[in-house]
Amino acid sequence: MSVLQHLPLGRFIEAASRGSRQTKQTVQVSFIVMLLMAAMALFSANVNAEVPNAVPPEGTYSGIHVEQPIEFPHDTHADINEINCMYCHTYARRSKVAGIPPTSKCMGCHSVIATDKPRIQKLTEYWENKQPPLWNKVHDVPDFVHFTHEKHIKRFVIDNEDLEVENVSEVCAFCHGEVKKMTVADKVKPLTMGFCQRCHQANDGPSDCWHCHK
Amino acid sequence: MSLSNLIDDWSRYRKGREEGGFHDYEHMWGMSIDLNKCIGCNACSVACYAENNLAVVGKEKFEKGQGMHWLRVERYWDEPDLGEERTSEFQQHGASFLPMMCQQCNAATCEPVCPVAATYHTPDGLNAQVYNRCIGSRYCSNNCPFRLRYFNFWSYYEDSWPAPLQMQLNPDISVRDMGVMEKCTFCVQRIRTVKDTARMEDRKVRDGEVQTACSQTCPTGAIEFGDMLGMYDPESGVAETRVTKMWRKHQVELGKTKQNKQTPDMRGYRVFEFLNTDPCVMYLDRVREV
Repeated sequence: MSVLQHLPLGRFIEAASRGSRQTKQTVQVSFIVMLLMAAMALFSANVNAEVPNAVPPEGTYSGIHVEQPIEFPHDTHADINEINCMYCHTYARRSKVAGIPPTSKCMGCHSVIATDKPRIQKLTEYWENKQPPLWNKVHDVPDFVHFTHEKHIKRFVIDNEDLEVENVSEVCAFCHGEVKKMTVADKVKPLTMGFCQRCHQANDGPSDCWHCHK
Repeated sequence: MSLSNLIDDWSRYRKGREEGGFHDYEHMWGMSIDLNKCIGCNACSVACYAENNLAVVGKEKFEKGQGMHWLRVERYWDEPDLGEERTSEFQQHGASFLPMMCQQCNAATCEPVCPVAATYHTPDGLNAQVYNRCIGSRYCSNNCPFRLRYFNFWSYYEDSWPAPLQMQLNPDISVRDMGVMEKCTFCVQRIRTVKDTARMEDRKVRDGEVQTACSQTCPTGAIEFGDMLGMYDPESGVAETRVTKMWRKHQVELGKTKQNKQTPDMRGYRVFEFLNTDPCVMYLDRVREV
């Protein structure tokens, strides 16, 4: 199968243009597209260049866009400012769920950074009212599935000696897509049993039914 | 898929039985239940209801035999009938109790009859039931000599957990819907959690680390649960788990149809051993003064 099939190309450009509309930097669109093309050239040379010792799962999905109380820009945080995914989603490496950071973590930076932006003002309002923003769940697996982030992070990041921890977003992108190119995270991978199973077969994961089904 | 699963399970079992030791298995979870200690309080059954999201079906459906108790405590009256003197349904003496949960047979009769391989044997020596694969043919239940599989004839969740009681459901196990067979899993969600933790810490599962809800709750400690492959744990110096020790002491061995008992006084037995299903639950017979 060609690599191009797996790249959510339309979403890249869409996310890039969305990001630029917000930051009012039209130059950045062409820059990101160029970067994307360079990346594609790199990809077609070697599929597994990004994450060593791992075969990424196959399959894409175009789901509905989930509205969030605040349009959280993942691209500003993870791509432009290069904040590690696990800085905010800190539970990913030690529990089943990756978790959403408490508002106090947001306020740790945003009590001083970008306080003039309307989204931050909205966040500050939540913080002062002592109400958390009620984020909507985007990546949801059925109730009969047991999934732990912990073990997957251990296999692909912690036990993966060749992987720099700065590149952890490439591992996250296996199942979550290129979230760092999106504003609000969209579901771009199917997260079906076939999707899981193909990756488990390619990476020697367990295939016992009761490992995942409960 | 289903056929290859079945053949794999069977050849793994055959190899373990012929060579002894069941070394192809990751674990072999087993139980030992001391009926001398059992007081028939049903706490284990209640714990099971709470732990495994079991539906409470109500009196009428229960009388039709549609109860969903994965662990039932059976009563037997072993005192001779008192005749006319017997005034009540319950005799004053002579009740003995037998907690019955899925016996997790190694040569399980339920497995080969499933048309969709929803029940199969895991490398942990557990008899698994995959709920979202089950189509509700009920062959397995009809083929179980112990009658320890329970079928969801109805959807119970609305009646069983009216709001806000659904908040107390265990998130680690799914709530089964109408048309699905279910049974005791040896609290697989607890086993899974402990195995995950052990793997994260790069060590083996320790003896006594996994507790099923029933063994945790039993007020007299009649139910013991553990791995029967005798995991060696250098930290505690335990070479043999408590359950393995118990089985060896009472001269009951896995993979045997007829136990070779040197000392007939030893109380261990397995239910319906002659059927050769090789259960993983050993009972210790009750001794009483006559």
